[in-house]
Amino acid sequence: MKFKYVGKSIPRPDAVNKATGKVRFLDDIRIPGMLHAAFLRPEYAHAKILSIDTSGAETMPGVRKVVTGKDISFRYGDNIMDRIPLAINKVRYIGEPVAAVVAETLHQARQAVKKIKAEYEPLPVYVDARDALKEGAALIHEESGEFDHLPGLEPVAGTNIANRYVLEKGDVEKGFGEADVILEGEFNYPFGSCAALEPHGSVAWFHEDGSIETWSSSICPFIVREDLARVYGLPISKVRVHIPEVGGCFGYKSDVTIEQTVAYVASFVPGHPVKWVATRKEDLLSTLIGHGIRTIMKIGAKKDGTLTAMKTTLLHSTGAAVDTGIHVLIASTHNSTGAYEFPNCYLEGISVYTNTPPVGAYRGYGHQESQFATERMMDLLARKLEMDPFELREKNYLGPGKFTSLGEKLWKTNGDVKKCAGIVREIVFSKPKAVNEDDKYYYGRGFAALMKSPKGAPFSSKGCYLKFNVDGSVTINMGGAEVGQGLRTVVSQVAAEVLKIAPERISVYTEIDTQFSPWEWQTIGSMFTIQGGRAVIRAAEKAIDKLKGIASQALRVDVDMLEYGGDYIFLRSDPSVRVSVPDVARGYTYDDGVTIGEVVQTTADARLPRYSNPDKKGMGTMGVTYTFGAQACEIRIEKETGKIFIDHFVSCFDVGRVINPKQIRGQVAGGVMMAIGATLYEELKFKEDGKAVNPHFSKYGFPTIKEAPGKQTIEFVETPGEIGPFGARGIGEHPVIGVAPSILNAIYDATGIDFYDIPITEDKMKKALAEKKD
Amino acid sequence: MSQRVTFTVNGYERTVELEGWERLIDVLRETLSLTGTKRGCDDASCGACVVVIDGEAKKSCVYPAKKIDGKEVLTIEGMADGMTLHPIQQALIDSGAVQCGYCIPGIVMELYALFNKKPDASEEEVVDALSLHLCRCTGYEAILEGALLARERMAAASVK
Repeated sequence: MKFKYVGKSIPRPDAVNKATGKVRFLDDIRIPGMLHAAFLRPEYAHAKILSIDTSGAETMPGVRKVVTGKDISFRYGDNIMDRIPLAINKVRYIGEPVAAVVAETLHQARQAVKKIKAEYEPLPVYVDARDALKEGAALIHEESGEFDHLPGLEPVAGTNIANRYVLEKGDVEKGFGEADVILEGEFNYPFGSCAALEPHGSVAWFHEDGSIETWSSSICPFIVREDLARVYGLPISKVRVHIPEVGGCFGYKSDVTIEQTVAYVASFVPGHPVKWVATRKEDLLSTLIGHGIRTIMKIGAKKDGTLTAMKTTLLHSTGAAVDTGIHVLIASTHNSTGAYEFPNCYLEGISVYTNTPPVGAYRGYGHQESQFATERMMDLLARKLEMDPFELREKNYLGPGKFTSLGEKLWKTNGDVKKCAGIVREIVFSKPKAVNEDDKYYYGRGFAALMKSPKGAPFSSKGCYLKFNVDGSVTINMGGAEVGQGLRTVVSQVAAEVLKIAPERISVYTEIDTQFSPWEWQTIGSMFTIQGGRAVIRAAEKAIDKLKGIASQALRVDVDMLEYGGDYIFLRSDPSVRVSVPDVARGYTYDDGVTIGEVVQTTADARLPRYSNPDKKGMGTMGVTYTFGAQACEIRIEKETGKIFIDHFVSCFDVGRVINPKQIRGQVAGGVMMAIGATLYEELKFKEDGKAVNPHFSKYGFPTIKEAPGKQTIEFVETPGEIGPFGARGIGEHPVIGVAPSILNAIYDATGIDFYDIPITEDKMKKALAEKKD
Repeated sequence: MSQRVTFTVNGYERTVELEGWERLIDVLRETLSLTGTKRGCDDASCGACVVVIDGEAKKSCVYPAKKIDGKEVLTIEGMADGMTLHPIQQALIDSGAVQCGYCIPGIVMELYALFNKKPDASEEEVVDALSLHLCRCTGYEAILEGALLARERMAAASVK
């Protein structure tokens, strides 16, 4: 298939306005009469609130209102309604909002917050799921079990277990019975933050006419809209949500979180827009954090390397509200098989309430946490079997005709992990290592394969409004949030290809506004190109049909005799008989002014085929849009300091179709860097009492350019998929999945030291090297 | 105690009243509505707020506003010449360094200060300057590529 626009590095339509600093992010919004909010956060991570004295704050300059949670009568949550906008009778994590001040300026609001006096009675604190699960542990939510939730979720009342997901495939005990070798391991992927450069924030405005208008740096405008309407008893149409430019997301700006808090506070000053933007400390502790997943894994294999069974238990320290984290763990659990077929599985994921900030989506959505275990286990198993780790993997890769843990049969169009693994292996491992160590360094190489399922919902869809203008240019409006991933470019390229006009003639939407934008579930799960691209194709094809229909009247021929060529609609047998697209874009006007036909504007949407809820065994379908890949690295470990240098990082994914080579490389390079951060540097740490150790960028471990790999090699296989535009599959999250295991496998290769948890900081590596010597 | 400072921003003289607590970023963003300068952290470690003060790249989030009196400030809003972008802006676009775009204004200003002081800055010096800026999107490779491309183009055209 020859493409004119797909597969080319078309420039981003939004790049210029970003480079001049003129695009409008949330904090850049200025509205006449706008007030500002600031929040009091608790001194304890788990405590009863005995009293809150707001009198000192109320008389501070510029203060319009001080709000506490005492009168709150609603809960919210997208999956399980365990969230409240402000603490009511107790606090459950250190970043929780306890009280708010609304003032004329942000400075005034912050000064006044300091005058609020709150008294607490401390309660036992659980930072780790293992402690919160102990017999007799205090309950973090006494009412757990009574919260409304989506079907299929199973909170265990009277415990801190917020949900237990179990997937059973085949007969796991029989599988272990058939095994010659059984291997067990425990791995931990600690808390981290998506840490987009733009902190999360929201503006909420309760209008006097009863409607609500909000702005948020969110990727879920339609969910925010529906949830605000539910809480305030309004028709959904009376809530308007705007999404300005979003300065990076990586997961944590999804679902409904801070928007309900800001709206609740704004509801006390109707008629005034109220803005709140997180400080970095608040962004790290009071929005959503990531990971916190411990994976306990058991694998059975025959002598020849055939995998017979897998049992995993995932313990998730999901934080003080599990709403947004619950599906992260479900995805982590059923994807813990990685890129391999296990005929027998018992996979269990336990979401546990802890006194830490709520965990939510983080680029990778649970995959990197459990597949960190899987890919370390494959290397460990190969060692136990005395087998080549590539051969062991090769024997068990998923592929056409094989079944995932969910029982979903894979097609050829799901991509080729063997091919990806082969390419990566050739680049990194085709020659023996030049040197194992020298005076200064140990050298190592490591590999990991990976698989990612989509994350959707049965009703998940993405809409597209497409409009032909009277000069033949096209305007496209969609509901997908541009967070930097480059979806606007993808939309223009896909539309250009179908409509046969240059991308420069296609204008793609900038901000989202639920008043004008077509409905979209939410922009998550690396699915915009797949679903959104398909919606663009469907809308474009409808528009071509309309253009042809009008042209058939204008040219007085049957519609099936016509061809569409971008600029003209013409008679197939004689292209000189034609009418221009501008002449039919608003209907066709005869010389006497009489006009026939309709304005050429269309709508379409696209959902994943047969996406289902899990059945009683935890199985179902994910709409069959898996993406496979493989990653490997060449590292150097400085003997004296323990510092790890990633000299070369290699990634290969079967993305089905590369739409924009420059953009896709940027996605992968950035994803790899983000996961190198998690593997070697980053951790959001909490003390035993639940207080944060390092909630600032200077202490968090965010990697700089100096920690970037010496070189990244990024390759793609293009086995076209069935669903996405021109065969494209998702790629946004995948680059983070194989990074930690490939680096830890390389560390073993270099030093003979096995690590089971991350990050492998310089100190940790240095200590391990010293212990090994002793 | 209110205080008055007069300084130039992007070539125009501005006078603002201060209460005393303000940092330069507060004056730029809130008083002068120059919102291209970004706030990304609260401890001067992300570089999104970098502006150029008397030729030096400075973090405006920690720069006391009262010290700005008599100084010359350049922000991202002063970089393009009408419809023509500064070569640093154009190079970062061309290299694919612009994803979410939030870190870009600070990086443009950092590189502007560097290349004006040292048009032939070495790759190591460019990396040192860029290491003061955090980016979550790109993995830094396109940013470095763009910075080196800007250096090359500016040298070829003798642009300041």
